[in-house]
Amino acid sequence: MAKPLAASKKVMKNYLSELLTEEAPELAKKSLLAAKPLKAKSLVTSKTADVIENNRLEVLLQNVNTDIDVATSEISTQRSLAQKCSEIDSKTLQRQDEVAITTHKSSDENHDAFITKVPKSYREGAFQVLFFDVAGLTIAVPLIELGGIHNVDKITPLIGKPDWFEGVMLCRDEKINVVDTALWVMPEKYDETLKNSLNYQYIIMLSDSRWGLMAENLVDTAILQQDEVKWLGSSSKRPWLAGLVKEKMCALLDVEALISLLDEGNGVN
Amino acid sequence: MSDERLSTSNKVDANDEVLQWVTFKLKDESYGINVMQVQEILRYNEVAPVPGAPLYVLGIINLRGNVVTVIDTRSRFGLEPCEITDDTRIIVIESEQQIIGILVDSASEVVYLKPSEIENAPNVGNEESAQFIRGVTNRDGELLILVDLDKLLSDDEWDELKQF
Repeated sequence: MAKPLAASKKVMKNYLSELLTEEAPELAKKSLLAAKPLKAKSLVTSKTADVIENNRLEVLLQNVNTDIDVATSEISTQRSLAQKCSEIDSKTLQRQDEVAITTHKSSDENHDAFITKVPKSYREGAFQVLFFDVAGLTIAVPLIELGGIHNVDKITPLIGKPDWFEGVMLCRDEKINVVDTALWVMPEKYDETLKNSLNYQYIIMLSDSRWGLMAENLVDTAILQQDEVKWLGSSSKRPWLAGLVKEKMCALLDVEALISLLDEGNGVN
Repeated sequence: MSDERLSTSNKVDANDEVLQWVTFKLKDESYGINVMQVQEILRYNEVAPVPGAPLYVLGIINLRGNVVTVIDTRSRFGLEPCEITDDTRIIVIESEQQIIGILVDSASEVVYLKPSEIENAPNVGNEESAQFIRGVTNRDGELLILVDLDKLLSDDEWDELKQF
């Protein structure tokens, strides 16, 4: 009884190994059938045990067929389990994403933690941007990271702050830290002539921060595809620049990085 | 008016004690200093310049027999100088165990603020003058900048003032 068991184990091993290589179970059956002439060949040499061996083979084949049926049913169960697991996994992941997004929106305290973990939503598929211009320079900001737009009102300068820090503007009891965008973005070109020519009308709020960029005009909004932007890596020397919009050849802001720079009191360089 | 405010302030939570701030103007902006540091507010009197004094020292005045050094606040705050007007005041304050005067465009009023109403100013800027600002608050739709007088001058500068 040891032989049939060994043969059965060998056959099952082959079958499972073929299954692992994602071959159809039918192939395994064929290999089993192919094994039969080999066994028969060996039986020819031992004429005395012919009948016994044939009987054993019959029993073996029956056992193997039974085992294959069991294995197939087990495998199909495993497959269905695997499918269910993958479905559950995908559902869990989806839920995790939802939780992450909800937390990201609802909790400012955990904001920074999610910045590093959750990839920017606009880095997949189409996304909308707002174009605004400052001193002839067009700048794009992803709408999903646009905190709001205000008209420029009285701005109170604060002593000892960087030149690009225009001051604090009160808006519905909120205090907005206003940035002279032209001076921040292109300090090397900012002279008295440029300063006098600027006609700031709007303040573009950066995400849910208190920082607002002054803008002269709101140009347009557009839906951009990923390939319409030349994306810059995170190791870029200009972390505030997410990429360049190819058609308009303008800067696309990385709002989170820009907020970090402003919080640290850093200029463009 | 102030009595009304005082009675209102007495009702507030003890943990959120109301502080009084004397407000003054410098180039259209409103600033506030802790009333506990203010000794008196004077109309502008002739300030006698002191030869060799630092730029931020406008000069000295005689206040009832005591010599009080007057600081050019506009200069200290990095603002351009302006003409002396009828509204110009010298606020006499006590800070760092010294009595000095600060020249302001005008003195406005005393306001009552709860600490919870005071927000930190944006923590950007490494300039020494950035340290002057203790916080900001919204007062009747205007931003009031609260000044930390102790940081108006550096330790060396306070020591220097003792020589006057």
